[in-house]
Amino acid sequence: MKSLRVALAGLLLAVLATLVRAEDVLYLFIWNTYLSEDTVRRFETQCRCRLNQDFYSDNEEMLAKLEAGAIGYDLIVPTGNAVETLLRKKALRPLDKTKLPNLKNLKTEFRDPWYDPGLRYAVPYATSVTLLGYNATRLAERGLPTDTWALIFEPQHLEKLKGKVTVLNSQRELMAAAMKYLGYSVQETDPARWEEAKRMILRAKPYWANFSNSTYIKDLAIGNIWVAHGYSSDMYRAQQDALEARRPFRIDFRTPKEGAVLAVDSFVLHQSGGRPDLAHQFINFMLDGANAADVSNLIGAGNPNAAATPHILPEIARNPGIFPPSEELLRLEMLRDFDPKTRRALSRMWTEIKVR
Amino acid sequence: MVRWSEWAGTVAPGFICVTESRQAGRSPGPGENLQKWLVSLPPTLFLLAFLVAPALLMVVASFQQVGDFGGLLPVLENGQSTLSLEAYRFFFGDWIYAEIFLRSFLVATATTLLCLLLAYPLALLIATGGKRHRDLLVLLVILPLASNFLIRIYAWMIVLGPAELLYTPFAVIVGMVYVHLPFMILPLYTNLESHDPALLEAAQDLGAGAWTRFWRITLPLSLPGVWSGSALVFIPVLGMFAIPELLGGTRDILIGNLIKEQFLDNRDWPLGSTLSILLTAAVLLLAWLAAWAGRPRRGRA
Repeated sequence: MKSLRVALAGLLLAVLATLVRAEDVLYLFIWNTYLSEDTVRRFETQCRCRLNQDFYSDNEEMLAKLEAGAIGYDLIVPTGNAVETLLRKKALRPLDKTKLPNLKNLKTEFRDPWYDPGLRYAVPYATSVTLLGYNATRLAERGLPTDTWALIFEPQHLEKLKGKVTVLNSQRELMAAAMKYLGYSVQETDPARWEEAKRMILRAKPYWANFSNSTYIKDLAIGNIWVAHGYSSDMYRAQQDALEARRPFRIDFRTPKEGAVLAVDSFVLHQSGGRPDLAHQFINFMLDGANAADVSNLIGAGNPNAAATPHILPEIARNPGIFPPSEELLRLEMLRDFDPKTRRALSRMWTEIKVR
Repeated sequence: MVRWSEWAGTVAPGFICVTESRQAGRSPGPGENLQKWLVSLPPTLFLLAFLVAPALLMVVASFQQVGDFGGLLPVLENGQSTLSLEAYRFFFGDWIYAEIFLRSFLVATATTLLCLLLAYPLALLIATGGKRHRDLLVLLVILPLASNFLIRIYAWMIVLGPAELLYTPFAVIVGMVYVHLPFMILPLYTNLESHDPALLEAAQDLGAGAWTRFWRITLPLSLPGVWSGSALVFIPVLGMFAIPELLGGTRDILIGNLIKEQFLDNRDWPLGSTLSILLTAAVLLLAWLAAWAGRPRRGRA
């Protein structure tokens, strides 16, 4: 009985203590490894508040958690199509640009995205390109090209790569690659063109090792796989892993000349957040070049912030796979969600691709 | 940026507990009855809340429509019901989904048989071996479960990769058997350990050889263990999606992958629910068939 009373008193004290301390907290819902600890600490000192980060590894996961009723997040960092979803659900708060003087640091090409023209809700923070990573040494030995989707779709090249190719296990991404190679838009919905892409994929499939969304990083780095369809930041990691392990080959990656998918992750303010003031303060802080460079230096992400460039490691800043030259940028397209009917039709086709 | 990552494990199509019930010799008194009720209340509530309720939700979801951003349209819209049979019609509209079902059942059957073949001798060895080593051996069987599932699968990737066996149907079966083997060994061991050695001694005294003793006594007595082990292997394998995805090649898609894709990649909950329900129905049908085939018959010892 006595111990119970002591425990209760302790609990009460603890509750009181937190009430008294009731400090300012900014709640972030963000991708893993998007902020360095150093940056977090500097912001916390500057705002005299605390940053609370929750992580997700997938837009769908983030949306699902919000859908299930997660509230209280001031800031979220969704990709373009997820920004559109959140906007149409009226879940976002408009930005107060007077509190964001550093917005001027953004590169002009990122100031008018399709999902949020004029940046009224979303501030771009990181970019990635879905491209081809490859074992440069092995490909050179076989005299294969490295700058075209033909590498993963044309049997004439695949003959020399049988079992050494992986493609993303994502219906949207693989279809987008096929569409780009055929010269169409990634938003193409014409059944005849889908059929054309399907035939091409089925023709190439016997040469592929598997559909992979993550294992290709390791497989490229240790030399199991020579060509992988995947995200630029993952390719950067595979490249660094191979370098660190002193492998007798070199991993490289670049955007195919036919164009590719670009993903832009942005800061947005969620309606349920209690501290829009701190959120604005944080966005403005992150728009500062030195802080904006974080995401590029940490994971090899592309950066929409012009002021960040001098703070980015030169080998990353100069990499065309991470920072596409402006003429290449024009050939990149962002994915938009299909409507439910189209999604189901695509899924039906995807299942067929998997089974055949 | 869609990234596959921290998930691991299975889309469970529902589970079945196979237990041996012991008939009470006398009818219980009223006080005992109440006690029984009270004791069984928490597990019953648990099952209702975490098995029956989600299953019912899934049934409803399978008749609902996909919302504009994934998720589900409300059941009622402007006073009109939005429920439809669309997902079922889609499923039965062509053979491709049935083909995946069939393929998954084949993989599950192969895995179960292989597990049984590997587990039986081992379980027998542990159960009949010296008492001193028994606990240690059982511990060794359970030990792999202590490390993370994904890590063990990645270890297999390292083993199979240089042998050029990675990303093949063979790798999928190897992974499946490896992961589920303990779930076959443990029920078998528990069963075999409880056998009365006097039966075997009596048989030997009556002139039965080793093979006859096994065939006429040990095996029939161990059938309940075989059934429960098989259920514990067969059903999770049907729902498994991580192993085919990590170890399989470009054709090794199973029903678990298909269901996972509907929920995570495609945001088509109605179709995913439909697939889950049909899978559960197929499993229940199989379990019923198995129970029917294994029903006790008179006149056998």
